[in-house]
Amino acid sequence: MSIDRNRLRPTSLRRRLLGLVSIAALAIFGLATNLTYRQAHNDVQELMDGQLSKMGRLMLAQAQQGAEHLANLPAAMASLRGTRDQQNDIPLEYQIGKADGTVLVRSAEAPNTPLSGALGFSTLPHESEPWRSLILETDDGSYRIQVAESIPKRDKEAFEIATKTVLPLLVIFPLLLAAIYFSIRRGLKPLDDLAKEVLNRSPENMVPLENRATPHEALPLVAAINRLLFRLSGSLEHERRFTADAAHELRTPLAAVRIQTQVAALSENGEQRQHALSQALAGIDRATRILEQMLRLSRLDPMAQVPSPAKVNLAELLADVIAEFRDHTQASRIESDIEESAPFIVGDAELLRIALRNLIDNALRYSPPDTPIRISLRRQKTGLTISVADRGLGVDEAELPRLVERFYRGTTVTAEGSGLGLTLVNRIAELHDARLDLVNREGGGFEACLRWGT
Amino acid sequence: MRILLAEDDALLGDGIQAGLKFADYAVDWVRDGESARLALLDHLYDACVLDLGLPRRSGLSVLTDLRKNGNRLPVLILTARDTSEDKIAGLDAGADDYLTKPFDLPELLARLRALIRRATGEAKPTLEHGGVVFEPATKQITFNGEAVQLSARELALLHELLRHKNQIRTRAQLEESLYAWGEETGSNTVEVYVHHLRKKFGADFIRTVRGLGYQLGGGKE
Repeated sequence: MSIDRNRLRPTSLRRRLLGLVSIAALAIFGLATNLTYRQAHNDVQELMDGQLSKMGRLMLAQAQQGAEHLANLPAAMASLRGTRDQQNDIPLEYQIGKADGTVLVRSAEAPNTPLSGALGFSTLPHESEPWRSLILETDDGSYRIQVAESIPKRDKEAFEIATKTVLPLLVIFPLLLAAIYFSIRRGLKPLDDLAKEVLNRSPENMVPLENRATPHEALPLVAAINRLLFRLSGSLEHERRFTADAAHELRTPLAAVRIQTQVAALSENGEQRQHALSQALAGIDRATRILEQMLRLSRLDPMAQVPSPAKVNLAELLADVIAEFRDHTQASRIESDIEESAPFIVGDAELLRIALRNLIDNALRYSPPDTPIRISLRRQKTGLTISVADRGLGVDEAELPRLVERFYRGTTVTAEGSGLGLTLVNRIAELHDARLDLVNREGGGFEACLRWGT
Repeated sequence: MRILLAEDDALLGDGIQAGLKFADYAVDWVRDGESARLALLDHLYDACVLDLGLPRRSGLSVLTDLRKNGNRLPVLILTARDTSEDKIAGLDAGADDYLTKPFDLPELLARLRALIRRATGEAKPTLEHGGVVFEPATKQITFNGEAVQLSARELALLHELLRHKNQIRTRAQLEESLYAWGEETGSNTVEVYVHHLRKKFGADFIRTVRGLGYQLGGGKE
């Protein structure tokens, strides 16, 4: 469970950014510190070499002045060159002599290397430490000097100086991290605001999010949310209307049931009571029918396509539906003309059956009892057409387009109906890529056509 | 008393008609707005129960027309929508009361009684004249304090006369109030019932106004 929860925990854009930027900053900063340190270290070494050579030449110049000057040198140097126990000074060891190698003057712990060695800088072991040594010569070659410093001592000094150079950078680093943190926070604030706006919304609020303060990068997201809101508000409105319509539509049969029941209770003679009770029952039947149609419609409404598409033989199906009406009291009114060779279509036979049943039922219901109902399936160049036509009163032209609206019942209609039948047929036609055409016939009557491929 | 019922739903209309008949009203039932409009032009009613959602002509339009013609007939509207807009629109168009479906039969009858009573300017729920006290809600009649039994038609005639105490009612008007469409009316039925009432409450209870009709006796003096 806890593992799953961890896996499901959303990644924080801010934390991610913060991590990546911090790591990058740390790497670059480390590199910079390292380079600076090395540079400082080298510079210090060079400076020390410079100092060493300056000191050597100075002492050489002193030696050239004459023997008495040379004799005074150790005393003069004593204060200059530092001692071993002094921590912060690097002690200088030296020996001065002739070009032939004879040593004239030397410091107490000077290395014993011969003065006759190669001129210039070198590293030599002394007192089990490496030493930096420099051998110089006067221009005329009469005197030679060797000056030397302990390399570990020099390194220690260089380390201290280089570290002092780098130290401010190390102090600055946390400040940099803090700056990165606040910048990212601030930079991502529009996203936070957006999230807050979405979060604080009441479920009823379907107004699109405003684009005013939205960063460019979040615009596709906002647009997607707005599209979703639009679709949601559409379907919410649809639901709301459906519920209101349904409640409204059920009120009348319920009122009838209530009144008829009360009439039955008040009735003193059996015939009257029987009549009222059968009327109440009819009211319940009607409410049930409306409910069934509504449920059917509400199941079909959200579908994008036929639930279980299969090959359907329309000719067979239509003949089958007509046969269902065989026991209907007015079955003799039905005249059918079915083209057997009609090609199959892809669809849901059950849904198509419901649609056809509704159309035939409407025709029987809304036309006089002695008039014919003509049902046909025709194959034309343009496609297939199923037609159900009656010789009733027809429908006011202005009302034709409204017939497929939910709960719309023509204003001239007196027969009972749920007002959902044609809505249902229309929806089923849509799912089958067919069109429902409702027209008044020439010479009177109403015709409903299901057309494929036109 | 005659009532126009305009309701397109067969089951509901049938039920209301039966219920109104129990209360001894003569009921004319029409199924669409146009028929309602014509019926209101042609006949005299004591009240109208009007469904708002009628085919061919909406109940609201029927009501507006009625009031435009200056007709003060008490109208109770039936609506299937429980939103207040429908009720407001109905009341503003001139309805006197409304009921939302589904409703109670006794409530419908009580509201109709109240509407009819108010239409005649009566504040009291009982009608009285010459020792006769009539209570429309219970249909009980007393004469000088004693209960009297009347037939439905006699009662309807008495009610009609009591409601128009100081007016002369023609024979045609009285007939209209007694019979709904399609009911057989004998040529001298009004006279027969007047005779019955006179026998019960005294000869001068109802006065014959020659050539015009009838009026409750002693009302003018």
